Amino acid sequence: MSQVLPPASAAFLVALGAVPGAWLRYRVVDHFEPMLPRKHWGTFGVNVIACFALGLLVGLEESCGEAAKRVLLILGTGFLGSFSTFSTFIAELHAVLRQRLWLEALVLVLGSVAGGLLAMKAGLALGGGV
Amino acid sequence: MSNKSSEQRPHSPKLQEELSQLGLVAAGAIPGALLRWHVEQTGEQVIGGLRGLVGADFLANMIGCLLIGMLVAQPPRRARLYLWAAIGFCGSLTTFSSWMLELARAVDGGHPSKALAVLVLSLLGGLLLVVLGYGLACRFRRE
Repeated sequence: MSQVLPPASAAFLVALGAVPGAWLRYRVVDHFEPMLPRKHWGTFGVNVIACFALGLLVGLEESCGEAAKRVLLILGTGFLGSFSTFSTFIAELHAVLRQRLWLEALVLVLGSVAGGLLAMKAGLALGGGV
Repeated sequence: MSNKSSEQRPHSPKLQEELSQLGLVAAGAIPGALLRWHVEQTGEQVIGGLRGLVGADFLANMIGCLLIGMLVAQPPRRARLYLWAAIGFCGSLTTFSSWMLELARAVDGGHPSKALAVLVLSLLGGLLLVVLGYGLACRFRRE
């Protein structure tokens, strides 16, 4: 039987994962910025890593069952949800489009979607789900 | 002997700066992640047919795009606002990994058209809202 987690402690788990997730994203993007041709490739890297890790986590959850619910809240919803970001991805895409760098924009979109999907697939397969 | 009081506390300004940045990011990230989680749960109860979009955190992602559009239009000197609201709040409210999970599930489940719809709607909707937020903020920005 699934044990229902009280909303307050579930929320606490989400918040507990969110802080290191957001902080790590900020530091990683900031750290790699000088080494990259453009800042958005830092966000790209963070997002692809997060996809792999979420796939792994969901795969493990599907093979472990309900026991992993708490782990999924803190690491999946909290940490990885905050680590990866959609808004910065779109805002950086917007900046590239405003500079009329059409090819760069296309590479960024296709690269992010393909990279994210592949990393997700790899994570899911490795975790044993699907 | 002379300058003892200034040597007593070797607090580094760098550490203080780090801590204040961490505080700002955390102060945005906690409400951002909680709001996303809440929208996710409410959405699952209310909407049945649009399950894919709910799973992809579509609504949270769209709200975050409107907000970040307004934030990138701010002058660069507002670094602390950006750290708290854009990197902390919007960054945590929106998520890339759930979006990809939903796409992967739709493709694996044999619904490529659903995957395409979630992909295109998210991209176009997000871009549109960033443009809208950017335009609104520029219009009302104090010079």
